[in-house]
Amino acid sequence: MARSSSQLTGGEGLPGGPIARAGERLGERGALALFLVPALAVIAVAQFYPLVESIIITTHDWTLARSPVMGRFVGLDNYARALTDPQFVGSTGFTLLLAVGSTVISLAFGLGLALLTVGEGFHFRLSRTLLMLPMVIAPVAVGTMWRMILAARVGPLNQALAGIGIDGPNWLGDPNWAAASVIIVDAWQWTPFVTIVMAAALASLPADVLRAAEVDGAGRWTIFRRIVFPMILPVFLLVAMFRAIDALMTLDIIFTTTGGGPGFATQTLSFWIYQQGLRYFNISYAAAASWILLAGCLVVAAGFLVWRSRISGWQRERGA
Amino acid sequence: MIGRLLKALLILIALAVALGPFVVLVLNSIRPSDEFLSASAGFLPSEATFEYYAAIFDPDESTLRYLVNSLIITTATTVIAVAFGALAAYSLARLRLPFKLSLVIGLAFLVVRFYPKITVALPYYLMMREVGLLDTHLAVILAHVSITVPFVVWLLLGFFEELPREIELSAMLDGCGPVRRFIKIVLPLSAPALGAAAVLTAFLSWNEFLMASTVAPNFAKTLPVRVSGFITDKGIQWGNMSAMGTVIVAPVVIFALFTQRYLARGLTVGAVKG
Repeated sequence: MARSSSQLTGGEGLPGGPIARAGERLGERGALALFLVPALAVIAVAQFYPLVESIIITTHDWTLARSPVMGRFVGLDNYARALTDPQFVGSTGFTLLLAVGSTVISLAFGLGLALLTVGEGFHFRLSRTLLMLPMVIAPVAVGTMWRMILAARVGPLNQALAGIGIDGPNWLGDPNWAAASVIIVDAWQWTPFVTIVMAAALASLPADVLRAAEVDGAGRWTIFRRIVFPMILPVFLLVAMFRAIDALMTLDIIFTTTGGGPGFATQTLSFWIYQQGLRYFNISYAAAASWILLAGCLVVAAGFLVWRSRISGWQRERGA
Repeated sequence: MIGRLLKALLILIALAVALGPFVVLVLNSIRPSDEFLSASAGFLPSEATFEYYAAIFDPDESTLRYLVNSLIITTATTVIAVAFGALAAYSLARLRLPFKLSLVIGLAFLVVRFYPKITVALPYYLMMREVGLLDTHLAVILAHVSITVPFVVWLLLGFFEELPREIELSAMLDGCGPVRRFIKIVLPLSAPALGAAAVLTAFLSWNEFLMASTVAPNFAKTLPVRVSGFITDKGIQWGNMSAMGTVIVAPVVIFALFTQRYLARGLTVGAVKG
């Protein structure tokens, strides 16, 4: 059916022939504009509409367990309540600790591994591929793995430590060690992200500049500090930004490592909001807390982007 | 010489740290149950047992259904997100809209990457409840497409912008409209970028936990949600949990090794070029 009509335009039978003809009738710009519609419709329906809905909910009183419909308008009460709730404050504290700790550790190790494995040899490519694996698996599975490794009496880590005469701590049972463990597990999963991006940035550096510096007799450390690092700094800051905001949103691994415990020692904000909203159905309260988290993420992202644009600005000035 | 040895040693240590947990997971999925709580058990299990795999794939356990759910959701998400994302990226790369509208639309896609999804999860749950889509594949797929389509758009936008326009222009002069040019010329030339987008989308959807657990608690439950369910107040079923973890992780690892180049490209989207 489609074939007979497509002969008019001299084309072969093409999937979606009728669509193509309709597109041609719309004209070039009209058809191209329509290309945007499906993707925009999806994010409008499943992201932006819920976001707007969420803001409205935060200014009302709504506990789903008590009422199936939204209650009265309460202004900013939900926000005020969150900011004075010890649980909110506590999980904010842990979230910040996790964000700083995980970001710093993954940046340090990730950049180090990128420097170690940059290169086109077979060994380097294989190492980079294998080192990438932690970040491609589900965070809930990462939590599962580490929960076993860190098990106090029978976990392989403490058994290995016992083998060299060290009495390993109760990693997930002690509040401080549990916090440290979650930070290490999150850093373990996302260090590869830093490695991959930084290795790509290092590989794209102009080889002649580096060779010129070497010929001039500059040492390795000097070359890294004075030439390489300034050149990769804009990418590095972008990676740091993504790591920081992703760590601020940490949720999945908490479910399978500590469940927020012991006590509430390792509750992240996302985890606490999840419990408030989807377990206890304090919808409006959880929504307000989630907007405070959202604002925090945007502030951190904006901070890194401003920092990055300033550095790029200086570099342009110096280069000119 | 010593420098190179040191470098090799450091890489080997890093590999051991990165891959060790995978080994522990797989070994625990075949370890006899009496070796879990004994401090004298070795790193390697004394013998291999497949009882946990048999247990989780028991017809009463519904694991098979969760596996099928995950496959359906991942496949549908990948196809839809790449299709919609490619169309949008092509449009943004070629269409000159007034009032910097192209930039605004591009940023609308980008901003999805920057806020916590828990903010969306709560109202999305209410919305799905309202329209009667709770616990359906569709609810999860729509959420996953909305999360992944921005990655696809940004990955392909850079690619389409660098695609030489001469061929498209000559096709245009031959009376070939945008739909035809897109399907006949642009898509075949973009196979590597489309591959990178598809691989990235598939990983994100297969691993996603928050939205899936929010809107699909029972019938449409996915594997990551099931894994988190192993941690119960009654204590942990180590063997079953390891077997289930292996079932989630193994396909991704194998897939990652084969699509390594695409994957690295997808994962670095935006960061290097920006």
